[in-house]
Amino acid sequence: PAAGPVPAVTPKMAAYEKRRAGTAPSGGQAVGSEAEFLLRSGVTAMVREALLKVLEARPEEPVSFLADYFERLVLGGPAATGDAAAEPTGPPQRLARALWYVSLAHHSHRTAFDSNTGAAYEVLGGGGRRRAAGVDGRLYSELLRSICQHGEAPAEAAAALLRRVRCRDHEAVPFDVFRYGVLTCFVLLEFAAKADALFAVLDGGSGAADARVCQAVLRALEEALGFGHVTQPRRYLEAGSRLGPDGLALAMDRALQERKLSGSMSREEFLKKATALFVAKVKPVE
Amino acid sequence: MLSPERLSLPGPEYLAQRHVLTYMEDAVSQLLENREDISQYGIARFFTEYFNSVRQGTHILFREFSFVQATPHNRASFLRTFWRCFRTVGKNGDLLTAQEYHCLLQLLCPDFPMELTQKAARIVLMDDAMDCLMSFSDFLFAFQIQFYYSEFLESVAAIYQDLLAGKNPNTVIVPTSSSGQHRQRQPPSDCSPLDGVEASLFYQCLESLCDRSKYSCPPSALVKEMLSSAQRLTFYGFLMALAKDQGINRALGALPDKGDLFVDPAMDHELEKLVAQVSGLSVSGPTSSSGDAANLPVRNSPRMNCPWKPLHHRRKMDAESEGSNEETDSSEN
Repeated sequence: PAAGPVPAVTPKMAAYEKRRAGTAPSGGQAVGSEAEFLLRSGVTAMVREALLKVLEARPEEPVSFLADYFERLVLGGPAATGDAAAEPTGPPQRLARALWYVSLAHHSHRTAFDSNTGAAYEVLGGGGRRRAAGVDGRLYSELLRSICQHGEAPAEAAAALLRRVRCRDHEAVPFDVFRYGVLTCFVLLEFAAKADALFAVLDGGSGAADARVCQAVLRALEEALGFGHVTQPRRYLEAGSRLGPDGLALAMDRALQERKLSGSMSREEFLKKATALFVAKVKPVE
Repeated sequence: MLSPERLSLPGPEYLAQRHVLTYMEDAVSQLLENREDISQYGIARFFTEYFNSVRQGTHILFREFSFVQATPHNRASFLRTFWRCFRTVGKNGDLLTAQEYHCLLQLLCPDFPMELTQKAARIVLMDDAMDCLMSFSDFLFAFQIQFYYSEFLESVAAIYQDLLAGKNPNTVIVPTSSSGQHRQRQPPSDCSPLDGVEASLFYQCLESLCDRSKYSCPPSALVKEMLSSAQRLTFYGFLMALAKDQGINRALGALPDKGDLFVDPAMDHELEKLVAQVSGLSVSGPTSSSGDAANLPVRNSPRMNCPWKPLHHRRKMDAESEGSNEETDSSEN
């Protein structure tokens, strides 16, 4: 029977009171022994490592990120106490672990991203106990697919991209191809997000934007992407950043002045067209 | 993903903006308080539970006020918890006084300041007749605005006073501590029929305030829309409009729409769990009667002794409370 909320004095609150009352007199010594305790028990190192990961990844939701991060530590990271057999063994676990690694740091933090990708490569390839099986085309494609799914990339664009960077199922995937594929997926996700934001500006919250304006923007986007025949995906983003507001405004203005009747364009269509532009520029894996 | 500026912020600024250090420091101090149990429990496990509870918003339960109000997420979590724990008050149609709502707040946060509760009540009652009874939803939405946007409202009060006094709003120095020097109201000298300040000028001041403020502000587009229909407005008129604006409520994201405040079958289950938790906790620590225990509300109104009355008891009141704040204003005097 629910007897109504009774004022509860939790042990936590009592401890808080104690701490608040006890700060003045024995402050110095207490702080010293606390720091020592934190150092000795490994808390300091663990917190430092966690903050480092947060800074590398710059997640949108750091609290969720930290909760997941510590949970991984509990579930079988190297720092876990006790269970030695917690290293992931089955392919699904290895895939999940690899996905976690590559999502840790944003790809613009290149050093961190590269070392995380390396860790993912090792986890994914470290199948059997005896021998390292290496990453084959099937595992690699599966990882790329989960990256795209996880980032909610438009399905068609993701499929097209995977066709471009895939390897044969039983082919061994060298690390540089692996890294290239992973990186390209993340750039696609970012590109899609930016295109989405662009559309949100164009439609003004109505769900459909003027087709002429969309076409003009897409054309400007295409021109920026065509800028030089550079091979690195990130160059495309740089070119994208060259799409200054002035240039875009001009193109849109011109489009609106052609006094033709025109329909509207939906978010899906715009995203499909924009991401197709990107995918077309991705250099296929040999 | 849509706010990539976080990627280019310097590290310390990113950490500060997202309150990462607030939580990390709190986690470590909680860990130190419980350090006897930690060694067998595992440090990583402790951190996992801590951050999971922050993620779920249960971390503010029974915490000190300074922590509860420390971050926007904490404030939103507190509002959500308050609503979840006491929504049955509204469901039953009970009307409570500010003092009684304050007791409810103190059940969740023992050192919750009365001042905040009073300010919220002032919004509902338009700065009048402070011992009036209020409906749960009226109080909740006013309290939400007052609690979540505390600092913003302080500054708005100062701006409002300056505008009333005819000062140039651009020279307003926004106070963070006391707004004492802004308090002198202009006497209603020439019997002007106009009440309050001019809406568009007021909005301009608010917009520039939001641009500068490092505290949470309601989205200016929504405020603009809200003010566009008015010529002039008073301070409490503005606060009342803020509290009633469902767009602002949605943007804040802690509470459901007014219409959905009492319909959520999943919550009934949740509530039962919380009740079990609360009674469990109170059993576990009955001996430590130090500190805040003395301040806890002993003077419970008879009504509060069983807030979980079945729904059908007060069906009539329920139907009435749909009609906004009429029931609040037309109280017993």
